[in-house]
Amino acid sequence: MIAIIRLAVFGFMAMTVVYVLVSIYSGSVRREKLEKKFDAGGVEGDRDEYIKAGMDAYRHGLRHRLIWLVYIIPTVVVAVTVYLVNYQ
Amino acid sequence: MWKFLKRTFQIMVLLFVAGFLHYTLPQHDIVRITNTYNRLTTVGTENAWAYASPDTGTAESSTTRDIRFIDATYADGSVIVYRNEDTGWVWPPYFKYDSSNLQAEAGNLKSTEAAPKWVSVTHYGWRFPFLSIYPNAVSVKEVAGPDVQIIPYVNIVVLIALAFGLFMLRRMWLQFLERVIEPAAAEVGETWDGVEAQAGAAAGRAKGVFGRIGAWLGTWRKPKR
Repeated sequence: MIAIIRLAVFGFMAMTVVYVLVSIYSGSVRREKLEKKFDAGGVEGDRDEYIKAGMDAYRHGLRHRLIWLVYIIPTVVVAVTVYLVNYQ
Repeated sequence: MWKFLKRTFQIMVLLFVAGFLHYTLPQHDIVRITNTYNRLTTVGTENAWAYASPDTGTAESSTTRDIRFIDATYADGSVIVYRNEDTGWVWPPYFKYDSSNLQAEAGNLKSTEAAPKWVSVTHYGWRFPFLSIYPNAVSVKEVAGPDVQIIPYVNIVVLIALAFGLFMLRRMWLQFLERVIEPAAAEVGETWDGVEAQAGAAAGRAKGVFGRIGAWLGTWRKPKR
């Protein structure tokens, strides 16, 4: 019983590290994309304002929410493995 | 010489990773189960890594314990012995805790050469008679005959996931270099007026990741006069 709690605690810590890394990466990619789009021309207004608006939209968008899969997928994989190995 | 050492190191890392995956990923044997039994087994220091760790359900003692075994025969007559132990909750990640049930299923599928029942045994691990190491059976399933082909879906999915993980790790690292390290290096180069450092960075860019780190470190060095 202790072992399963240990797995949950350390697994949660590992997934949190991955979540943070993926969030930073994903945000960085989006910011770069916005910068390049603005620098290519054809966009009205201030550069910083444009990027800030774009990043706000990103934070409320589906892509940012999909990063939660970092927590969901491993948990589902463990649950499916437990079922297939022990109850099939 | 340096190139030779580098190549040797790369091959050793590759072999280690391949061996690790070969040990850990599930494999299927089509066999006929001939016997199932328990045996009091002493686990030594040389082979403890290939047995369940002491905190899992079936391994109360770290040195001598009762271990379930499954004897089996391949279609060509050669034999294999599996151990049947819980895996616990960390490694290898099979989360197996139904060893008793598996032993009962395996006993139920026992058959003779005259009236064979062919069974697909899913297992991981290696059989090393010299070190008394046995693969761990994970599940048994009756199949039509000894020539049944089993598609290793789990291995396919795991290997694709690993490759994807490595690919993403590389992308993230390159993004980090491009967005964090290179601007910092460029800034340092500009303020210190390090013409040589800039040249070093340019040369490093051509040399790949390690060259780039080297070039970045180079920007912190005082320019020669």
